[in-house]
Amino acid sequence: MASRVLIVLLAALVGVHAGGRTLVLLDNLAIKESHSVFFKSLADRGFDLTFKTADDSSLALIKYGEFLFEHLIIFAPSVEEFGGNLDTSALTEFIDGGGNILVAASSEIGEPIRELASECGVEFDEEKTAVIDHLNYDLADEGQHTLIVADPENLIDVKNIVGAKRDTPILFRGVGMVADTDNPLVLDVLTGSSTSYSFYPDEKVSEYPHAVGKNTLLVAALQARNNARVVFTGSLELFSDEFFTAAVQKALAGAQKHDKSGNEAFALALSRWVFKEEGVLRGGVVSHHRKGEQEPPTAYTVMEEVVYSIVIEQLVEGKWVPFDANDVQLEFVRIDPFVRTTMQRKGGKFVAEFKLPDVYGVFQYRVDYNRLGYTHLFSTTQVSVRPFTHTQYERFIAAAYPYYASAFSMMFGLFVFSLVFLHHREDTKEKAE
Amino acid sequence: MATSQANVFTVVSKFYDEYVTTTPQRLKIIDAYLAYIMLTGIFQFGYCLLVGTFPFNSFLSGFISCVASFVLAVCLRVQVNPQNRKDFLHISPERAFADFVFAHIILHLVVMNFIG
Repeated sequence: MASRVLIVLLAALVGVHAGGRTLVLLDNLAIKESHSVFFKSLADRGFDLTFKTADDSSLALIKYGEFLFEHLIIFAPSVEEFGGNLDTSALTEFIDGGGNILVAASSEIGEPIRELASECGVEFDEEKTAVIDHLNYDLADEGQHTLIVADPENLIDVKNIVGAKRDTPILFRGVGMVADTDNPLVLDVLTGSSTSYSFYPDEKVSEYPHAVGKNTLLVAALQARNNARVVFTGSLELFSDEFFTAAVQKALAGAQKHDKSGNEAFALALSRWVFKEEGVLRGGVVSHHRKGEQEPPTAYTVMEEVVYSIVIEQLVEGKWVPFDANDVQLEFVRIDPFVRTTMQRKGGKFVAEFKLPDVYGVFQYRVDYNRLGYTHLFSTTQVSVRPFTHTQYERFIAAAYPYYASAFSMMFGLFVFSLVFLHHREDTKEKAE
Repeated sequence: MATSQANVFTVVSKFYDEYVTTTPQRLKIIDAYLAYIMLTGIFQFGYCLLVGTFPFNSFLSGFISCVASFVLAVCLRVQVNPQNRKDFLHISPERAFADFVFAHIILHLVVMNFIG
């Protein structure tokens, strides 16, 4: 009975449509103009943008227990205190409720942004510091070597997050971060080169910098366990029209000149990921039955051949389409996995056929698909596996014939003995008489 | 050494003579039955050692059928032995035999059920 099967589909909790209500917090409304290309692309993709300054006294994410927004963009690095009832705990509550946040900081980073980052396992460097790289700075740099040219090789190799592979570098000017090593959910989306470090640009380096070399994060991302996504970038200018259209050339002799930076492609790909337009999976109908049957039995018997299938869909351009991958695994678990097998794609479904182990008990079919750039897909279906019934054992085994013969000879012996014994009693009686 | 061997021989022969002369015929029949059961049991055990325990349930039921038959026969022998009459005053030999047969019916039902 299908109704008896426990189905848990956490992946279905993710949003189902592109776009959504988005709150944009700005330091000042001039940012709306200086970053117009980025905002326009969001608006074109169906996002309902609400622009507010970060210290607006009417700020609220929740009203009557409901979230007013699905996404939040914080382009307000220097804010010292959010207006209204917005604070770090409201923001973490927003993330816990499944909201997505895109945060851009800069060298004027304020305390609320830093607190939010440390809640998410990312630690920003001090105010007034900047990422410095004396070998990979742009020609347009003003002498502090803080206008970094980030090589595309330093991007995380996940197409869903950073888009298709490009060779155009990314311009970056802003504050560096380090990731909490104890937090496995933080992704290093863009790291500095091995010669970069984070310090006050105008001061002598007198102490060990907050971040050095590849540990310097320029862009970090977090996908929480509830699939909420948060992206931190150290540079607000990364999203600006100026950087989108700027030419890039490293200030080294013979460096290649790129007429247009990779910022636009990168920023758009990043916003597609963080606002759940990319890499969103959901598990659909789960079905399982004995091989050759259609309905799930009330209980399986050990060592039966079974077929399990699950529909997995991916959100592409606002529509759910069958997911395409060849690394989705199914586990058959009773505390430990007894079977782990890779599922085959068959007409929009992922199908696995395997033989149940010679172990009985309560098992789960479990699909736990956790890949970088994708939402976490987790589906379990509980079934019972019972031992052979009394009548299912093999009969008339050749090796057992001596035992059969012995058992029957015991009966036959009993019969003969009874005859002899009963008759003999009469004989002795006659003799006794 | 030779004397002790002779002693053993005399003991055994005396035992055999006494058995032949004084044991009632009825008990001798039971003893023959017991010997038959024991041989069957030993045969099964040897076969099991030879070919392994598969199929184990068949071995168990065949072997236990022998053991249980042996035990029941011994019980019958004890109850019908005239020397034990004073211990089983209220159990007549007929009653003992009826119990024996009843127990065997149960036993063989179980054995057939389990033998596979």
